[in-house]
Amino acid sequence: MLKTVESTNLVGTYVSEELLMSAIKIIKEKNIKIKNIFTPYPIPEVFHQLELSTRFPYLATLFGFSGMVITFAFLYWTSVIDFPIRVGGKPPLSLSFIVIMFVMTINAGIILSVISFFLRQNLFPGKPPIFGHVGNTDDKYSIVIEIKPDSTEKELSELKLLLTDSGAKYLNEKKNIESI
Amino acid sequence: MKIDHALESKLKEIKTFEVPVQLTVLSLMLVIIGFAMAWFGMMQNPTRGWGNILICNYYFLSLMIGAAFFAAIQNISQSGWSAMFKRIPEALTGPLPVIALFIMAMIAFGTHSLYHWSHEVIVRQDQLLQHKAPYLNFTFYIIRATIFLVSWIILTTLLRRLSLKEDSQGGMVSFIKSEFYSKVLIFVLALTFSLATFDWIMSIDAHWFSTIFAVKNFVSAFYHASAAIILLVVLLYKRGHLPILKDSHLHDFSRYLFILSMIWGYMWFSQYFLMWFSNIPEETVYYSLRLGREWKTLFLLDLGVNWLFPFLFLLSNKIAKNINALMFTSSILLVGFWLDIYLQVMPGLTGVNAIGAVELGTFIGFYGLFIWLVAKTLGRANIIPKKHPYLMESALHESH
Repeated sequence: MLKTVESTNLVGTYVSEELLMSAIKIIKEKNIKIKNIFTPYPIPEVFHQLELSTRFPYLATLFGFSGMVITFAFLYWTSVIDFPIRVGGKPPLSLSFIVIMFVMTINAGIILSVISFFLRQNLFPGKPPIFGHVGNTDDKYSIVIEIKPDSTEKELSELKLLLTDSGAKYLNEKKNIESI
Repeated sequence: MKIDHALESKLKEIKTFEVPVQLTVLSLMLVIIGFAMAWFGMMQNPTRGWGNILICNYYFLSLMIGAAFFAAIQNISQSGWSAMFKRIPEALTGPLPVIALFIMAMIAFGTHSLYHWSHEVIVRQDQLLQHKAPYLNFTFYIIRATIFLVSWIILTTLLRRLSLKEDSQGGMVSFIKSEFYSKVLIFVLALTFSLATFDWIMSIDAHWFSTIFAVKNFVSAFYHASAAIILLVVLLYKRGHLPILKDSHLHDFSRYLFILSMIWGYMWFSQYFLMWFSNIPEETVYYSLRLGREWKTLFLLDLGVNWLFPFLFLLSNKIAKNINALMFTSSILLVGFWLDIYLQVMPGLTGVNAIGAVELGTFIGFYGLFIWLVAKTLGRANIIPKKHPYLMESALHESH
């Protein structure tokens, strides 16, 4: 999980969202694989263009459901099996479980989702930040394309030309950027 | 925003809605059957007859109030996505004057059959009712009902007029004015509709009270009115009147249903749970009746239909965007709404669980009248508000 894959990448940086979107379309037409995209804010259109899919909603549903079941099991064990007390004439197995189960469904769903998101993205405390261009946290949009080790000088210059033609303002090479 | 010329010409081609002859014939038949059945019910057992009139009055009133509220929050939030559906909630509020007449007739002739607090003999022997008499008396009751209905009719007609004015004149004046009057409408609804639910539904069980009752019924009205709006949008789309409807709009509509199903379930449970927990005989009598042998199945079915089914069904993203699935869910919800009101009215009124020809007949009579009036209101204006400032945004709407 913590192992980084060695790679050399070409990063093209754009100054506006419109330029980025048109560049993605141009690069897609040439059948060149886009490795990663960095934007200052999430742009849902990018997900559509790159045809990314996620299984996260299923995972979150599963977390929520298991949170509910585990909470029910815990409540059942504590207040029915191990220490049954009648409070206010209510039966041990009672409706008041629902409130706690409701809260714990949300709680488990959210917290476990966040944790699994960090695991999936290899994010941990102290990890050096990864970005294509320093401006990605400000107002710049970057497209990352991997340079294959066996690619020739000609191919590389064609790739650079493609990025500048599509509107990239800055071009730079960066090592070890992970794929999406 | 870029101007899409292809889309603009598509918007210009949209035909206006005309009430089909079949619909008029069908409505007329339904109204005749409904009238006969309601009359039969009234002769057989006045309490049951008036109870059904109350259920239907309240059912369609709630749909209209919910639709007015839906339109109002779209105006206030200046939401772009819903701009092209503006006519649909407006059309749903169209029959309000007619239903208001029915409600006034019910109050004039049916109060004695419906509400036991309206009998002076009973009040004289009942300390609790004497205590509530300053609020629950016939004179004040009529005054309140008149104020409610008149204020709703005035505000909805005003908003409708502004919307039609926008269609003929364009510009931003009507848009800004409708935003202001929508705010007024919401403030007025918050007070009047709460009191209306107390008056017309909760006072059937005059000894019982619930402070969350109005919220629950208001959410219910909003929820099921959204279902009615969605059903109408889908039907208009299938007849070719809304060619620019997209997946994104459907997704937003199903989000409405989804969150409202959760709020509805939350309110339902809050009311039930607090009464179950505090266990005060005054309050629990309402639920112990409904959890008795006679009503229990329907009582649980109500929760299943109005909360559990939409919640689980609309969880999946793919189903949420499916037009037929949405139509199915909305139809189920409209049935569930009737059941919800039936369970609030009938146990306290007749105490007999009988869903038969009278119940069905009265409902379809009202239904026939309602759909005809809605269709008539739809036909009076363009289906698409052509000069709405957010129309293009609505047509290009993308949700993710």
